Amino acid sequence: MEVFNVFGDLAGGFATALQPFNIFMLFVGVLLGLVVGVLPGLGGTSAVAILLPITVIIARTSPTSAVILLAGVYWGALFGGVVTSILFNIPGEPWSVVLLFDGFPLAKRKGKPGVALASSFFASFVGAFLATVMFTFFARALADFALSFGPPELFAVFVMSFATLIGLGAESPVKAVMMIGFGLLLAAVGFDTLTGQPRLTFGQIGILSGINFVPVTIGLFGIGEILASAEESGIGFVERLSAKVGFSDILETLGELRKRIWLVVSTGIIGFWFGILPGHGATAGSFLGYGLARQWSKHPEEFGKGEISGIMAPQASADAAAVGSLVPMIALGVPGSPTSAVIMAGLFIWGLTPGPLLFTEHHDFVWGLIASIYLGHLLTFIICLLAVPLLASIMRIPYAILTPFIVLISIIGAYSLNNSMLDVFITIVFGLIGYWLRKMKYPLAPLVVAIVLGDSTEKTLRQSLIASGGNPLILVQWPIATILMALAVILLLIPFIRLLRSRGRARTAALEAETIGTAID
Amino acid sequence: MVVAAVAMIDSRAGAMVDTTGREPGGVGAGFYPFWSAFLVFVCAAVVGYKSWRSTVTGPPVYEGREGIFAVVKLVIPMVVAVVAIAWLGFYIVSGLYMGLFARWIGRYNWLVVALLTVGMPAAIYAAFEIGFRVSLPKSFLYNIGVLPF
Repeated sequence: MEVFNVFGDLAGGFATALQPFNIFMLFVGVLLGLVVGVLPGLGGTSAVAILLPITVIIARTSPTSAVILLAGVYWGALFGGVVTSILFNIPGEPWSVVLLFDGFPLAKRKGKPGVALASSFFASFVGAFLATVMFTFFARALADFALSFGPPELFAVFVMSFATLIGLGAESPVKAVMMIGFGLLLAAVGFDTLTGQPRLTFGQIGILSGINFVPVTIGLFGIGEILASAEESGIGFVERLSAKVGFSDILETLGELRKRIWLVVSTGIIGFWFGILPGHGATAGSFLGYGLARQWSKHPEEFGKGEISGIMAPQASADAAAVGSLVPMIALGVPGSPTSAVIMAGLFIWGLTPGPLLFTEHHDFVWGLIASIYLGHLLTFIICLLAVPLLASIMRIPYAILTPFIVLISIIGAYSLNNSMLDVFITIVFGLIGYWLRKMKYPLAPLVVAIVLGDSTEKTLRQSLIASGGNPLILVQWPIATILMALAVILLLIPFIRLLRSRGRARTAALEAETIGTAID
Repeated sequence: MVVAAVAMIDSRAGAMVDTTGREPGGVGAGFYPFWSAFLVFVCAAVVGYKSWRSTVTGPPVYEGREGIFAVVKLVIPMVVAVVAIAWLGFYIVSGLYMGLFARWIGRYNWLVVALLTVGMPAAIYAAFEIGFRVSLPKSFLYNIGVLPF
């Protein structure tokens, strides 16, 4: 019976998503996403952040249209980055870096740019479709389960999301912890909601109501990325291929896809579940997919030379992970990736509370979004197959026009949120901070997730402690909270285990070298 | 990296002394910022210490003098533009900003520069002020009734 309910809800979602205005928003979002995906200087997360204030106007009439627009940008950017990686050997997006390994070699060395592009588009579509089907059937169940959560369980969920960012995602766990602390501090600025006391304002009246995460995010991603790419512009512009996807390319790709269908399906499924883990999105998913394809291949030596599995597997996994990253946002109120963190920020601005209650209180919104994921990927897939030369020509927009335009749009985005120049200054300051953090190799994802989750984390912690009269054991008193906390501890231990293992290996190697040295002597 | 760590410690120092008394549940308004700042402080110290002890020289952080110069060329006009918005308003500043980049970085001829200087603010005005009804900062000329923006 439950399955029939899902089909009924999904049909209602399609009725919402197929309304002319929503279709228009989806189309605009996908096109914008494709453009920013192609351009190396601007990412999908940045574009979503910059568009947030504009969606406030759209959300006044329909929050569903607003979220469809933002999600459309995300799907468009997922596909757009592929074109730049394969034809220009420059990653348009972080999640298309992995396509440089086999995508460009297939296009250049083997002279098959059309097949390389089509392989990527088909795998993306299959991965995303599978992930959306799983989203449709599992998100509601997860949300229903999450409805029984009290403050200790919710606090445990937040702790686990931070632990995931530290244990699995970060190159340097210490830096990730530092960024989480920094994000929590930023979220704490302004009046304390429980006691009304001003915190960390240093006497500044302008920030008494807190630092809004939208200008911070626009700065960190929009301006920060522009500054970083300004420094690196000119680097990497080595090769430039032209291509379109012809009918013969599609036929050849379908043949290749048939040979690798299980690889694409399995990396899609794994990518979806990986994407559900908070803090992970398409980028981590793409590398996971590539690693699995190489590990499972009978000819791993072919990877890096234009192997189609090295294109299909990461693309299926990346797109599935991107869809998966929306599940915890909708079902638990925890963002699964930096982009979904920004979309979640949008939900707060539009007056919605992300989390399990969305399914009951904003039924049309959730199912409209789910239906739009199906439509968004289908639309992106068709546009990509038909318009590769047009997408590639976007790369010809000169830096001297594009860069100031992005800066101006960022300023508009920051200002229009509250009609406040303070927000513009915050954007610029965080743009500089974002650039510096990138250069120093500090991860931005933990920072953004901590800013977005900071208030909720503090609220659930303090509610728990107030309920227990200050006894911290309440945080591990109930079974779900205990399990989640235990998982968080395990995740936090992963970097230590890695460190111990690498030290052990180094010690063994040193001993072996010493033994050989003694033997020679 | 040491400088980065010290900068982090310094910038969070204010938060650490902001701890206030005890409230219901045993935690006050300062509890959460204090422990967040403490987390940042400890991590910054670890990063600083590791950087100080490290003997491995990694690749250079910046892409040479040209790279830094490219960033400076972007940052200075951006900061000047944001400060100037208070007096000149968004539209005049955006026109000048686009024109400056087109001429200085793009080395376009004056016709293209003029088109961008006038066209970009006009397009933004049409899209945001008229289309989305988003009111952007106006100039002092607007206040005295000389210009519509």
